[in-house]
Amino acid sequence: MKQFIGIVGSNSRQSTNRELLQFMQQRFESEATIEIIDLNQIPLFDKPSDFQVPAAVTEIAAKITAADGVIISTPEYDHSVPAVLTSLLAWLSYKIYPLLDKPVMIIGASYGGLGSSRAQSHLRQILDAPEIKARVMPSSEFLLGNSLAAFDEHGQLKSADQVQKLDGLLADFLVFVGITEQLNHAHEMAQKEAAHFSWENL
Amino acid sequence: MKLVGIVGSNAEQSYNRLLLKYIATHFAEIVDVEVLEIRDVPMFSQDDDQSANPAIQYLNRKIMAADGVIIATPEHNHTIPASLKNTLEWLSYQLHPLDGKPVMIVGASYYDQGSSRAQLHLRQVLDAPGVNAVVMPGNEFLLGTVKEAFDDAHNLKDADTVAFLQTCLGKFLQFVKVTQAMNQPQPEELPTEDLTASGSIDTTIEGIDKEAEDWVEQAAAKVGAISGNQYVQLDRGILTVDQLNALLASLPMEITYADSNNQSLYYNLNRQPADEMFAPRQPGQAGNPLAKCHPKAAQKHVEWVIQQLRAGKQDVVRMHVPKHGDDQFVVHNYQALHATDGQYMGINEYILDFKPIVDWYLAQTGQTLAGGQVDAVSSASKTQSAPAASAEPTMPVVDAVSSASKKS
Repeated sequence: MKQFIGIVGSNSRQSTNRELLQFMQQRFESEATIEIIDLNQIPLFDKPSDFQVPAAVTEIAAKITAADGVIISTPEYDHSVPAVLTSLLAWLSYKIYPLLDKPVMIIGASYGGLGSSRAQSHLRQILDAPEIKARVMPSSEFLLGNSLAAFDEHGQLKSADQVQKLDGLLADFLVFVGITEQLNHAHEMAQKEAAHFSWENL
Repeated sequence: MKLVGIVGSNAEQSYNRLLLKYIATHFAEIVDVEVLEIRDVPMFSQDDDQSANPAIQYLNRKIMAADGVIIATPEHNHTIPASLKNTLEWLSYQLHPLDGKPVMIVGASYYDQGSSRAQLHLRQVLDAPGVNAVVMPGNEFLLGTVKEAFDDAHNLKDADTVAFLQTCLGKFLQFVKVTQAMNQPQPEELPTEDLTASGSIDTTIEGIDKEAEDWVEQAAAKVGAISGNQYVQLDRGILTVDQLNALLASLPMEITYADSNNQSLYYNLNRQPADEMFAPRQPGQAGNPLAKCHPKAAQKHVEWVIQQLRAGKQDVVRMHVPKHGDDQFVVHNYQALHATDGQYMGINEYILDFKPIVDWYLAQTGQTLAGGQVDAVSSASKTQSAPAASAEPTMPVVDAVSSASKKS
């Protein structure tokens, strides 16, 4: 059984992205354990004068390191990912590198019809940055538009098509996690590069 | 001209701050640039509205008062720093100081890239409906390998770089003026419409109360109007009045004629019960001025429609009225009528349910609609960006809620 971390990409109490992850948690309970993580304790990234990563972040980092993969569900704020998610990813590439070569699946929900499409494509680019270098599952996209009306009162996704799509994507992700385990030849080098990277010494 | 420059980083040491300060001092004779910091802006959260926070209010005031904004962004993980994105989220939630504001993007980075990817993301963010800035196109100023770029006195070393920066800034000052001109209200004002039809035209039947319940009967007597099986010569054909009535009643739509004096003269489905009509008409409405046919709240929109039609800005104005439910797609069409010499003769308002026409077409051709049903919300970004302001189309709504022909 695979262990996944599900990151809710917003810090708001009411989040349809959280609902989406909760739905997955329940639906795929026989295939994987999904632990859902909220970002309401994440401080805005700055370069701290004491060079210390906040405890709320190291906690998440440890969970990601221990997990087989990460599912990020992002809303869209102003055509991009919310600052709180950008912040988390900035912290997760500051002296710690838990996402390096980690399999990641991107999904997202939005109130409007587009399902956070632009935020998801930004997120892909961000996760590809040299200090993050996650292994994002390619050629897959899950856009949940009109998300306020997407779930019934039991938290179930109403659209059978969307459920079928999600089933397929999760099955693919399980395979992708297996493949990614074999993509480890450059891992040590990448880890070294990221760890020894210093803007000041450029 | 007064500009503000936003340092897109909350770092203590920032080359983007250096770049903005250089612009402020080096080009001081051309333009006044005040450098603003985002250090003290708290983390954005929808659950905890801090729009009144002094750091946010300070930025809001300064940006509102400026003619234009320069944003200097570093690149962090292929995108803009969280602190800059965070600031823009606050400035697109309850406050919208960047709405319509001209913006120039510059950026500096340690690597060769010069923040190229962050700048593209920033363009997209500034284009979101809640932000709605007017970003200058082109003129991309990317300052790469920035640690080598400045001398000890914090001046840019490379003369070509300075020259290019000056070109970009010069164009931006022009761009600010162009944007200001663009934001001016349109100078052309169309003449107002008299919806009370107090004047008269050649065809107006004088001396009869337009609002009388029996205006049709009185007016017919006054002019000796023909009726029944008497003949009318038309272009092209001859019909009796009865035939003409039957023909008009057989049209698959409700039509109404208001003349160029804004007097409603005719509607075609008098024999149908009013409650079966899309826009119920009453016999007493014939002859009424348009002001009497529409609720007060809708009259500005009615006037707008007539202005468009009379001035020839549009030949037809269409309005989908969704109150009839999903099984119908009822559209009010306001079609301008013209004499053979092109003169405006009034409006044919025809109300038509398009749904059976589309259904029939699909059934006959064996086709289906791509994507199932029509998405009524085409501007998804409106609710897409949670903290963003809505971007409703500004087309006036003509009686979209209340019926177009409700008696006031």
